[in-house]
Amino acid sequence: MEEKRHTSLHYDKELQAIKDGLIFLGALTEKAIQQAMTALAQRNSDLARQVIQEDDEIDRLDTELEERCIKILALRQPAAIDLRFITTAIKITGHLERIGDMAVNIAEKVLQLNDEPQLKPYIDLPRMTDRVGAMIRDSLDSFIRGDLALAENVRQTEQVIDDLNEQIFRELLTFMMEDSKSIRRSLLIMQVSKNMERIADHAKGIADMVTYMVTGECVRHQTSSLHE
Amino acid sequence: MEANSIIRLNHVNFYYGVSRALTDISMTFGKNRVTALIGPSGCGKSTLLRLLNRMNDLIDGTRVEGEILFEDKNIYAPDVDPVEIRRKIGMVFQKPNPFPKTIYNNIAYGPKLNGVSGAEMDMLVEQSLKQAVLWDEAKDILNQSAMNLSGGQQQRLCIARALAMKPDILLMDEPTSALDPISTAKIEELIEELKKDYTIIIVTHNMQQAARISDETAFFYLGNLIEYSKTEKLFTKPDVKQTEDYITGRFG
Repeated sequence: MEEKRHTSLHYDKELQAIKDGLIFLGALTEKAIQQAMTALAQRNSDLARQVIQEDDEIDRLDTELEERCIKILALRQPAAIDLRFITTAIKITGHLERIGDMAVNIAEKVLQLNDEPQLKPYIDLPRMTDRVGAMIRDSLDSFIRGDLALAENVRQTEQVIDDLNEQIFRELLTFMMEDSKSIRRSLLIMQVSKNMERIADHAKGIADMVTYMVTGECVRHQTSSLHE
Repeated sequence: MEANSIIRLNHVNFYYGVSRALTDISMTFGKNRVTALIGPSGCGKSTLLRLLNRMNDLIDGTRVEGEILFEDKNIYAPDVDPVEIRRKIGMVFQKPNPFPKTIYNNIAYGPKLNGVSGAEMDMLVEQSLKQAVLWDEAKDILNQSAMNLSGGQQQRLCIARALAMKPDILLMDEPTSALDPISTAKIEELIEELKKDYTIIIVTHNMQQAARISDETAFFYLGNLIEYSKTEKLFTKPDVKQTEDYITGRFG
């Protein structure tokens, strides 16, 4: 969305700083979920602990971005597209912070899984992680570009992730029925998958806010057009 | 807005000599609504405001085309008395302009010309000052000069003076631009109260003020009405890019 510059160039710079900060925060959260998944696939507990440690930086950036947004609301009293941009940015930073927390949840499960023999080769979970990572990237790209089509694409992908989660759940159910010794590990993997599915929900939440930012319409509680 | 409209403009053009200040304006103002007119300097918003009670008649070389219907009667029809129009459609100006008289006589000046006097006048003065939320501050100093009041009090006195003529509509031309934030807040609160009994049309350069106090907002640019809609919509998702550029400070 190409906008004219504000008469106040400082205002432009403040808004740009929020965009840059959200992109950086998005990159950190995407890295966190990828590392958590690598820690699982490669049974690397040090990497899992690193994900947990680095969440402090995500929390710090979330607070900083929210404060910047509140400052603009108080001092600039934005209207129209600027108002929708700031309210969207506040929501997005909250979604990203929660994604960071989910990556920590996954890393904690990985630490427990890595203490035991591997139940099965991980195939669907890394695929799911790649798609969820792409959803985060696309949702933020759609925010920066005001790209409705890309936002809609993210909203539709969320259903694909839900389906993958279901599939993983069914597969693990079979493992548990066949061998009671696999129950604990199966439940932990289910929680990894569930956290990934919730991350996809947050990426969809970002895409919903982008739709609001561009059109002024709230679509948060509407199903994507693909599934209507 | 249509059903309860009090003023309707049909294809109004307005000229200062050969220069056209307003171009083909058609719009309606809702009864008991607060309508804000916004736009950059020279966009025609104050000109439009002054057209609504024929204040522009006082300027030589001006000309109006189209019609302005107040209660279904064209206020520019030859048989209409502009003084009567100005009684029904009062005006409050940018700078408080009390008469150099007592507070009481500021209010009483207009009604006296209409034959009001005695206890009826006392009641009217009290009622007008109460409506303008000035009574508590002024009741003990009614015989003192209005010039001793603060700027904010003077502006509320001017509103009380306009209300004493029992108008249907109150036009306000940047009524708080010369006031401090507290006095501004008092006037804004007053506008909210007054809209129960009056229709208010206000010109303001303060966009936050327009957003705070008005039900509808009209954006003007270079004598054209660019967008006119509910205030909430205009300030969150305007339909026209020009409006958005103006209210977000991207104009120029």
